[in-house]
Amino acid sequence: MLHVNSISKTYHSKPALSDISLYVHAGESIGIIGESGSGKSTLGKIILGLEKPDQGDVHFRGSNLHTLKGQALKAFRRHLQIVFQDPAGSLNPKLPVWKSVVEPLENYPDVIPSFLKEVRHDRKKMAEVLFQKVGLSPELLERYPHQLSGGQKQRIAVARGISLEPDLLVCDEPTSSLDVSVQAQVLNLLKKLQRDLNLSFLFISHDIAAVQFMCERIVVLKDGILVDAFLTNELFSASRHPYTKMLVEMSMEQDR
Amino acid sequence: MFENKTTTSCENNLLTVESLSVTIRNSRKKLIHNLNFSIPQGEIFGLVGESGSGKSLTATVILGMLSKSLEVTSGSVTLGQSEITSLSERELRNIRGRDIAYLSQNYQSFFTPFIKVGQQFIEIIRCHTDMSRKEAKKVAIHWLNKVHLPAERVFNSFPDELSGGQLQRASIASAIMFRPKLIIADEPTTALDVLTGERILDLLSELKEELNCSILLISHDLKHIIKRTQTVGVMYGGQIVEIGKTSAVVANPIHPYTNLLLQSRLRLNKHIQHELPTMLGEPGLIAEEGCPFTKRCPSAMESCSNKVPMNSLGKHHSAACHLVNAEREERYVTR
Repeated sequence: MLHVNSISKTYHSKPALSDISLYVHAGESIGIIGESGSGKSTLGKIILGLEKPDQGDVHFRGSNLHTLKGQALKAFRRHLQIVFQDPAGSLNPKLPVWKSVVEPLENYPDVIPSFLKEVRHDRKKMAEVLFQKVGLSPELLERYPHQLSGGQKQRIAVARGISLEPDLLVCDEPTSSLDVSVQAQVLNLLKKLQRDLNLSFLFISHDIAAVQFMCERIVVLKDGILVDAFLTNELFSASRHPYTKMLVEMSMEQDR
Repeated sequence: MFENKTTTSCENNLLTVESLSVTIRNSRKKLIHNLNFSIPQGEIFGLVGESGSGKSLTATVILGMLSKSLEVTSGSVTLGQSEITSLSERELRNIRGRDIAYLSQNYQSFFTPFIKVGQQFIEIIRCHTDMSRKEAKKVAIHWLNKVHLPAERVFNSFPDELSGGQLQRASIASAIMFRPKLIIADEPTTALDVLTGERILDLLSELKEELNCSILLISHDLKHIIKRTQTVGVMYGGQIVEIGKTSAVVANPIHPYTNLLLQSRLRLNKHIQHELPTMLGEPGLIAEEGCPFTKRCPSAMESCSNKVPMNSLGKHHSAACHLVNAEREERYVTR
């Protein structure tokens, strides 16, 4: 479904990504691990079409994402949605949260997601269905972002992300700003949604344990270079790249 | 010689917090309730809890920087010989930055963005001493080297020319320049990735040895606390619900909250799980009466809505929970 072909990107003559290739099948979830500065977020932005690569191209359902313009691009964007790390920054502070949740549906009046078929005419009802999908109580519909906890806000961001029933949801560190106990709740939710809606996931994180839980395949980035790519159940295999091994060791050591 | 006023601060405790309570002035709502803990000289003490548990507020009280709308209603905070809660602003200014250093999660805003890092170091140094600019630069370079940074380059850089890890190191350098007795590290690694974060914690442990200071390490993540601290306090809803030697608490968590915190840690697994164990409810759900965790507790019973005293299990471990009983004591694992 998604093919990334030998992408390179340079910022101020510093290479951020060099020659990265990867693919995502429909319904598959791929994890991208790396430290800060490894280029993982840049890669996410390029895949979403928010940044242009210097070299290489991204093909999504057969079309080159970076040559699309205007209406054609808009039609594609519908299938690509994102959940950011900072839920507070991705919601409009002056809107009650239910309006933020249905905003994408207003931008795409022709799109009818399968789970909103019966209520597509009623904005408020759509928000209710989406709230229920992400495990939020309908009492919170009228609240403003500052009246909600971090976990609740992130659920709202997820509801917004899935509202158009996209093919691919990019999650950029979706849990790293949350309390540990809430992280587990949000990860469980994401995994359940992925299964229920048959979404593809691109899960960007520096937390190898979160990626292991969420993803079927893992890609490891270091300084803009793809150093390792493997199936999640091969994470402990002896043939892993030394850098991957070090990340695993680090994570194990923290737990003793 | 003379009978010392602070007879309660026993042995070699550097910091003693005694029955500290903080309330909002207008609503009388209690934010911190009867807090007791102490940090011995040269030890790392961990304070762990979710958002809203009062851990950062505790740090604010220790720094004497409580907002005007809040009030210390009882208890005391003693650092060495001085009782912080009764000091004037002028006296506090001498302690802050000199005896107590503060490191925050938000290293991005630690330095002013449009002044070179070196200039800011010189300003800090000259604020506390009467050194010349030249001498101050020497001191700054010395401490930048101490935190393993390329000192000259960092000194001549603007903050946005440094990476997150480098900025956090630079902020550590500026915090420790006056050889503080206590470093308060409030979520020092939360905004950093795993490897960089570990290196920062390594650095802090190393500096602790060198300066022989104590560290109050605050985090929402037990992962960071377990490996680094000798003693840990678990906070919920403004109260310490469990406290003890870190190894003892990890091996025998008594309070259900501690237990759930331990379980909900994300861990690498040999077998991939289908669902992660979670804790009921949201962090802000706090019971007004009795044990603050009652509303989210899987083993809550009627008596939990009454005041629950701290019960001790052995010498180095106590918890405010009815689950402390004889049967538990028998199963207690000593490492």
